[in-house]
Amino acid sequence: MKTKKLLARLAGFLNADQTAQRKELKSIRKVLKKLKAKERDLTTKLEETPPGDEYEEISQKLQVIYAQRRKGIERVREIKGRNKEQPSP
Amino acid sequence: MLRFWRQAPLPLLLLILSYGFWISPDFKEIAAGVALFLFGMLSLEKGFKSFTGGALEQVLRTCTNRLWKSIAFGITSTTLMQSSTLVSLVTISFVSAEMITLAAGIGVIMGANLGTTTGAWLIAGLGLRVDIAGYAMPALVIGVILLLQRSKILQGIGYATLGVGFLFLGIHYMKEGFEAFQGAFDLSGYVIPGVLGVLLYTGIGMLITVIMQSSHATLLVIITALATGQISYDSALALAIGANLGSAITTAIGGMTANLGGKRLAIAHVLFNVMTAAVAITFIGQMAWAVDYLGALMGLADDEYLLKLALFHTLFNLLGVILLAPFTGVLERALLKHVNFAPKSREKPLYLYPGALETPAAAISALRKEVGHLYDNAHDLIAHGVSLRRSVIDSDQSLVDAVKNTRRIIPLDVDDLYEARIKSLHSDIVAFISEIQGRELSQQSVEQLYVLQQASRDIVEAVKATKHLQKNLSRHGVSGNPLIRERYDTIRLQIAKVLREIRQLRSQDPETVTSLSLDALKLSVNKSGRSFTADLNALIRGRRLSSSIATSMMNDENYAFEICSNLIEASHALLLPPTRAEQSAEDQLALDEQDIARMAGGNSNPRTRTHTDEDEKTAG
Repeated sequence: MKTKKLLARLAGFLNADQTAQRKELKSIRKVLKKLKAKERDLTTKLEETPPGDEYEEISQKLQVIYAQRRKGIERVREIKGRNKEQPSP
Repeated sequence: MLRFWRQAPLPLLLLILSYGFWISPDFKEIAAGVALFLFGMLSLEKGFKSFTGGALEQVLRTCTNRLWKSIAFGITSTTLMQSSTLVSLVTISFVSAEMITLAAGIGVIMGANLGTTTGAWLIAGLGLRVDIAGYAMPALVIGVILLLQRSKILQGIGYATLGVGFLFLGIHYMKEGFEAFQGAFDLSGYVIPGVLGVLLYTGIGMLITVIMQSSHATLLVIITALATGQISYDSALALAIGANLGSAITTAIGGMTANLGGKRLAIAHVLFNVMTAAVAITFIGQMAWAVDYLGALMGLADDEYLLKLALFHTLFNLLGVILLAPFTGVLERALLKHVNFAPKSREKPLYLYPGALETPAAAISALRKEVGHLYDNAHDLIAHGVSLRRSVIDSDQSLVDAVKNTRRIIPLDVDDLYEARIKSLHSDIVAFISEIQGRELSQQSVEQLYVLQQASRDIVEAVKATKHLQKNLSRHGVSGNPLIRERYDTIRLQIAKVLREIRQLRSQDPETVTSLSLDALKLSVNKSGRSFTADLNALIRGRRLSSSIATSMMNDENYAFEICSNLIEASHALLLPPTRAEQSAEDQLALDEQDIARMAGGNSNPRTRTHTDEDEKTAG
């Protein structure tokens, strides 16, 4: 991620209140849960599929889900870390 | 049975025509005349369309932006060309091509009716008769020469010239065909006194004009009959009214091939002539007196019927213009309101009803469903565009096999389908969005509206790209050369995969589905495009494909990319979760274009969508 983008996001969070952050956390977790379920389905499907075009396609979908989940987890960590730094009133 | 009757008219018509051709050579000539005439109208319209937005349109608009100007334009052009039919038909083409407004067209038609009376003066005063039908052949030759030129403007002029040539050639054949009936005009046999006589002679005058395709020729018949004492002076006046009415029939035939604007003008012409004739018939006595009075003032002798007839012709057309010109605006509004030939198959919106505008939330929900409806229509059209049945896309059947086993490319008029099933719905969606925007909305609603409007636009773009792709697909899609066939199969397969994947995502439970699944599809499209290009380059390097067909393939792959990317973008809007927080969460996790380009195995430069070229039919 570009530094500029990260800094902009950070600045946004410094101004956002904790309720909004909690709400965001909840939403991200919900999406992560959906992705996890999808990942599980695809892994099962991959095991049943013989090598070939379909196998490649499923692997590709899994790669995308890994990348998206990685982004999500990073984001969750980021928010949690920020919450620890800012003691609740 | 119902299907039989729906498909019956064309074979039935061909059968009747064949029978007619077999039994009557005159019928053959008349039918050929009508066909050439209609073809002339189509050429004329096509020619003038190429001037749309250019200098000619500017000049025409300036010449017709006031009622008096358009009437004067009609008078001048008809006086110069000596054919109100030609001026009326060209005006229909102008209105059809939206180069001038309907009101301006009505003004020109009024002027043409007045201008045509100068012909009577020329015949009566100078014995001169201009027969521009003689120019048909040179017009055809010049038209074809211009058509073969590279310049679009010259080609446009070529089409217009060719149109004029065919119009006159058609009129010539109609006249030739009707010659057999001309002997039947023994006008002395219909002498009936009173109003009935006037009406009868008006009808006869109309009939002769339709048959002879010239009100000037009818005028000559009337004068001859008057000179030989076959008819009375009063009957001659009624015949002249009929001649005027008859000239509108030719315009009405011409209007048949025109679009809605042209049809409206043809109706206006018929209405104008019928009303003028009605007024003239009602006051025929008074008008005859006025002709005598003015004739005396001009120094005409009592038996100078020729000039008196010309005077009558001018007077009653002038009366028509004076009486009806103030109502041009009313006539235009009435025609716009009542004359609508919307095709029956025009797709109607399913969810956009006035009640949905009550609250922003209800309106946005209805709009989302309607964009979904538009997407479904586009899905069907695109599936057919790549020659796959919808049932195949919606099933679990192997797409690779379905594409490989395609024996023929489904013939499809994408333009027509676009007009009937996509454009109309898109217009309704845009109109509905404008309605919502007129109300008070939250920032979130404004954003949602924007996203849905953009989705609707993306769907339209996908269909436009399909139109371009389909053209080459029908040429090379099932090519005998396996190298070409395989490449086109790859293109079709990619589109089919996107259609199926999106269909599956849209049919899933909204609680479990996420728009993030579209990222995998984006990656697949990106990878497929890269491998297609690499593959194609290798074939060109190895001289296994000619560069011209390879260029077509590259363009077509680009159209396929447009279709897939636009469909993915549109479905992204349809799959977005309901709350803003969830939308934002999905946006944060989504892969950006650089991520996708990197994962596709190339540099991080994303491949961007370029909008397809607009053309005359699918534009807007």
